[in-house]
Amino acid sequence: MSSREPMALIRSIIRNRVNGLTVVGSAHGIDIDLLCGANAVSASQESYVGFEQDFGMAHNYRRGCESGEIEIQDNCCYTLVQQLRASIQGLPFMPIQSVRGTDFEKDHPSYKTIQSPYSGEDILVVPPLTPDVAIIHAQYADLHGNLRIEGPPVVDLLFAQASRTVLATVEKIVTNEELKRLGGANIPYFYVSYIAEAPMGAHPTACYPFYAYDREHTELYMSAAKEGSTAFKKKYLKDFVYECESHEEYLHRIGGEDTRARLSSWKESTDAWMELYKEST
Amino acid sequence: MGKNCTLGELLIDQLARTVEDDTLVFHGFGSPLVQIALHVAKRVYTPNLVLVAGATYGVNPDPPFIAPTTNDWVHDRNSECHLSIGELFDLSASGRLGRMFLSGLQIDRWGNTNVTQLGRKTLKLKLPGGGGACNLSCNAKNITLWTAAHRSEPVKGKRRYRIVSQCDYVTGFGHKNADGITRRQLGYRGNGPQCLVTDLGVFDFDQDGHLQLNALYPHTTVDDVLENTEFEPRMKKEVKTVSLPSLEVLSIIRKLDPLRIHEKELLPGDRSLTLEA
Repeated sequence: MSSREPMALIRSIIRNRVNGLTVVGSAHGIDIDLLCGANAVSASQESYVGFEQDFGMAHNYRRGCESGEIEIQDNCCYTLVQQLRASIQGLPFMPIQSVRGTDFEKDHPSYKTIQSPYSGEDILVVPPLTPDVAIIHAQYADLHGNLRIEGPPVVDLLFAQASRTVLATVEKIVTNEELKRLGGANIPYFYVSYIAEAPMGAHPTACYPFYAYDREHTELYMSAAKEGSTAFKKKYLKDFVYECESHEEYLHRIGGEDTRARLSSWKESTDAWMELYKEST
Repeated sequence: MGKNCTLGELLIDQLARTVEDDTLVFHGFGSPLVQIALHVAKRVYTPNLVLVAGATYGVNPDPPFIAPTTNDWVHDRNSECHLSIGELFDLSASGRLGRMFLSGLQIDRWGNTNVTQLGRKTLKLKLPGGGGACNLSCNAKNITLWTAAHRSEPVKGKRRYRIVSQCDYVTGFGHKNADGITRRQLGYRGNGPQCLVTDLGVFDFDQDGHLQLNALYPHTTVDDVLENTEFEPRMKKEVKTVSLPSLEVLSIIRKLDPLRIHEKELLPGDRSLTLEA
């Protein structure tokens, strides 16, 4: 949601005019909404796309779903985990003790109810999920491609293990020695297909300890998104995606060193950290 | 004995009182009222609670303040250890999650919740989605439902009820769905929703699994509840009035949430509402 989303990669996907994507993930926000605002998504299997109680609905995502441009195939967190586990373990399906009786069961003909050969009880099974590509932003990688995620990895480890291709950006590429000093990798290199160094590559989401969530920029994003899809393209996508030929140009447009310094000020004190999240009046 | 408080603080206290001690409890994201309630519960009512934070999966964190987004590192401060996402959901699937808190843009008479879409046959509004609500609704041992938007003022003469007769879409399973299928028939481990805390009062579910008014607040009436609910909820024989939170609870809330993040969950007109002791 507001943390470690692979935003530089997503902006690059949009600039390269990739479209027709099926997106799948657990709880997301600006990453998926930005792709939807650029008309890059044709189906969504997310469990949540929104901005929590702070900014509410993801406008681009909602518009895409309601217009029929995006086919809605909503998933739930644990169903997704079980589907990834089936893929990781090379199994044809995975049982799950929930979902039956809810409308997700009706919406997903691929979910089947079978009888346990042991207890005889009914149990739902879900098919394996093997994404073509996983995109991840981590704090560190070494030159061999080992990735180190600091803080909650959420579903990233499972996605890295289950996907055919893993694309990763990192704040910093270091030596393997240095990576070990930092605490070691949590995604081994052989899962990882490509890495690129992209400092502030998760902006405007956070990548601690480097920088906090940019609530101010997110507010600007939301006000453009709220106005409608044409306004969003003119007021946000043009300035921060299409016209940025490189990640460096994006960093310049969001305020360069001043913005980086503002967002890394969270370390100074609790008050400084809180200051970043005060509502502008 | 109570002290003047806001509606948000009263809701936090009511949510905190639904937790049992010596259980593992999880809060999801986008729910600062619940997040703060669990910190209140752990410090005041249920010290042996295992508090698992939503989105970061930290165990027993002690954050210096509440931030506007749930997966901010500030909420992970001073966690004593961490779970993985799979581990948390495994605990629930095997019946070891003591209580979960769920909400919805629609909550119906049987405790089903909808955070997926408005409009049954044709989509009227795509909602953000339920995260893990669907899974947890089935097998968390106990469930507290809540909403801070029970009050539904008419817009152009029409109300969009939050507490509805039947959800347009069942994201989280309550006691039975529109087809009459019950959780017992489905063999679920969880007991389903036991209570619903709203901005108008506190409800429980009767033997049939139907919503029933249990208690009001000092400023709300049975008529408020009837007017703002799409169907007629059943009434407990004796509808009580809850007491306001203690000074200890209030000071914990105010210290933990100086940015008043939890008020974002309330209806705009309710944010400055003060209840006098």
